[in-house]
Amino acid sequence: MRMRTFVIRRLLLLIPVLIGVTLIVFALTRVGNPAAAYITEKMSETQIEMVYEKYHFNEPTYVQYFYWLNGLVNLDWGISKTDGSKPVIESMATYFPATFELTMVSIAIAVFVGISLGTVSAVRRDKPIDHATRIIALSGVSLPIFVLALILQFIFYSQLHWLPLEGRYDVSLYLESGGFTKFTGFYVIDTILSGKFTMFGDVLFHMILPAVTLAFGTIAIITRIMRSSMLEVLNLDYIRTAKAKGLPNKAVINKHARKNALIPTTTVVGLSFGGLLGGAVLTETIFSWPGLGRWSTRAVLANDANSILGFTLLTAFVYVIANLVVDVLYAYLDPRVRLG
Amino acid sequence: MPNDSTVAKNDILQTSAISQFKKSIAPRIREIRFSMFLARKSLLAMIGLAIVVIIVGIALLAPILAPPANNADPMQMPRDFHTPKPPGAEGYLMGTGKLGTDIYYGVIWGARTSIYVAMFVVLTAAFIGIIFGAMAGFYGGMIDEVLMRITDVFLSVPGLILAMAVCAVLGRNLENIMLSLTLVWWPSYARLIRGQVLSIRESVYVEAARAVGSKKTRVLFRHIVPNSLAPMLVNTTMDIGVVVLVAAGLSYIGFGPPSGTAEWGKMVADGQQYFTGTIFYEGAAYNPWWMWVFPGTMIFFFVMGFNLLGDGLRDILDPRLRR
Repeated sequence: MRMRTFVIRRLLLLIPVLIGVTLIVFALTRVGNPAAAYITEKMSETQIEMVYEKYHFNEPTYVQYFYWLNGLVNLDWGISKTDGSKPVIESMATYFPATFELTMVSIAIAVFVGISLGTVSAVRRDKPIDHATRIIALSGVSLPIFVLALILQFIFYSQLHWLPLEGRYDVSLYLESGGFTKFTGFYVIDTILSGKFTMFGDVLFHMILPAVTLAFGTIAIITRIMRSSMLEVLNLDYIRTAKAKGLPNKAVINKHARKNALIPTTTVVGLSFGGLLGGAVLTETIFSWPGLGRWSTRAVLANDANSILGFTLLTAFVYVIANLVVDVLYAYLDPRVRLG
Repeated sequence: MPNDSTVAKNDILQTSAISQFKKSIAPRIREIRFSMFLARKSLLAMIGLAIVVIIVGIALLAPILAPPANNADPMQMPRDFHTPKPPGAEGYLMGTGKLGTDIYYGVIWGARTSIYVAMFVVLTAAFIGIIFGAMAGFYGGMIDEVLMRITDVFLSVPGLILAMAVCAVLGRNLENIMLSLTLVWWPSYARLIRGQVLSIRESVYVEAARAVGSKKTRVLFRHIVPNSLAPMLVNTTMDIGVVVLVAAGLSYIGFGPPSGTAEWGKMVADGQQYFTGTIFYEGAAYNPWWMWVFPGTMIFFFVMGFNLLGDGLRDILDPRLRR
C-alpha cells in the first residue's frame, strides 16, 4: 500500500521536471530565428508572413510555448531536414529500435561483467585480480569511447579480420539470403521471426564491437560500485554468522553477500543509462549504426536543430523514466528505504 | 664571564620561543606529515600527479617543444598539403595527417586547448554552483526548493546530449562547447555544495559567528562556504579530466573547431577518415594508425592523470582513513 503511494508521489514529482525539460528545449528552439527552418530564399514577403502566421512565431513567447507544447503532445515535433523533410517523430520512430537494441545488449554486458568483476575483486581484495580489475575500471573511465572503438576496430577488423567493421549486417549476405522482414526493427528478433538463421548470426556478429565499446565505460562504473558495496557487506555481522555456521564460502558470497551488495549497484545502473544514451551517439557514429545517435550527429552536420532538439527531448524523457523505474526498484529491493 | 651568562640567557629565551613556536605549529606539521605519508603510500595518486605535471609542462613549454610556424595563430597545425606520412618521415616525429598536418605539433599544442577548455568549464561551473548551492543550503525554504528543482531539470538530461543541443543552436566552435559544458556542469556542484552547507550550517563555530552579530552574507561566505570546499576539490580535479573527455567527444562529432586546429578530439576524427585506407610512402605501404593513436593516447593520459589525482586527494581528505 505504501509502495503505491510512493510510486504515485514519484510520478507526480516527474511533472515539474518534465515541464522544466520542455522549457529548456523550448528556450533553445527560440535562440536565433525559429522560422528560419521553414523559410527558403524563393519565398515572397507574403509567403514568409504566412509561415509566421502558421507557426505562431508572431505571438508573444509564452503563447508560442503553449502552441509548441501542444505540438509536442500531438506528436508534431517539427520537420527533420536531415531525412529529406520527414517529420522528426517519424524519423525517430525509424531509428529508435536500432539504438534500443544496442543499448539493451550493452547494459546486459555491462551488468554481467561489472557485477562479476566487482564481486571477484572484492573477494580477492589486493590480489592480482583486484589490481587488474582496477586497471580495467580506470581505463574504462579514462579512455574516450571513440578511441576505444578505433582500437577495437584496429585489432579485430584491420589486423585479425575476425569481426566486421561497421553496420548492422553484411549487405551482400543480406541480398544473398533474400533478406528478412523487418517486423519490429530489432534485427535480432526479426531475423529469427523470418527464419534466417545465418542472418541472425551475422546480426549478432555485427553487434559485438559496438556493444562492447558502449558497455566499457559502464562496466568500469558498475565494477567500482559493486566492489565497494561488496567490501562493505562482507564486513557485516551476518556474513560472519553465515561463515561461522559452516556455510561454504561460495554460498556465503553468492547467496548472502552479493544480494545485498546489489542494492546500490541498481541505482548506478539506472544512472549510467544516461551515459549510455550519450555514448550511443559516439558509438553509433563510429560503427555506422543506423540509430538515433548517428541520426543526431548527421543532424548536427546538417545544422538541423529541430532533429537534435527532438532527440534531446526524447532522451530526457527516457532517462527520467529510467530513473523513476530504478527508484521504485530500489525501494522494492531495500525495505529500509523510507518511502516518504 | 658575563658574556657566557647572557648567551645562556638568550639561549633559554630563544629555545623557549622556538619551543613555543614548535608547539603552535606542531599540529600543522603533523597534518602535513600525515598527508605526505598518505601521498607516498598511494602510488597511484603520485602517478596521477606526475602525469598532470607532465601535461601542464607540455602545455607551458609548447612554444619551445614545437615552435609555431605561424605566430599569429599558433593553434593551427602547420601543414604541407601532401599525402600523410608515417612517423619519422622528413623530420615529422609523429608523422602527418589530413592535408599534411604535423601530428606532433597538434599533440603538443592540443594540451593547451584541453587545459584551457577544462579549466574554463570547471572553474566557471564551480563558481556558479557554489553561489547557487550555498544560497539554497543556507536560506532554505522557497529559494532552496526552486534552485534544487532547477538543478533537477538540468540533471535529468544526459550531459553530452544537452551539451549537443546547446551547441547545435549556438553554432559549432570551441567557445560554444565550453559554454554548453558549463551549463551542463554547474548543477552537480550546486548539489554538492548545498549538502555541505546544510551540515556545516549547524556547527558550533557558525553559531558563534552568528552570535557575535555577523551579517548573514558574511557568515555564509566567510565561515560556511570556505569550509565546504574540500569535497569540491576532489570533484573539480576529477572533472577536469571528464570535461576534456566530453569536450573531445563533442569535437569528434563535429561541434568543435575546424580540422587543422590543435585539438585532440578533432585530430582523432580527422585521422579516422584514413582508418581503412593505406598510405604509401617511399614505396612502402602503411596502415595510418599514427593519426588517431597519438592524440587518442594524450586524451587517455590527460583524463587518467586527473582521475588518479582526484582519487588520491579524496583519500587524503577523507577523515575516515585516519583511524
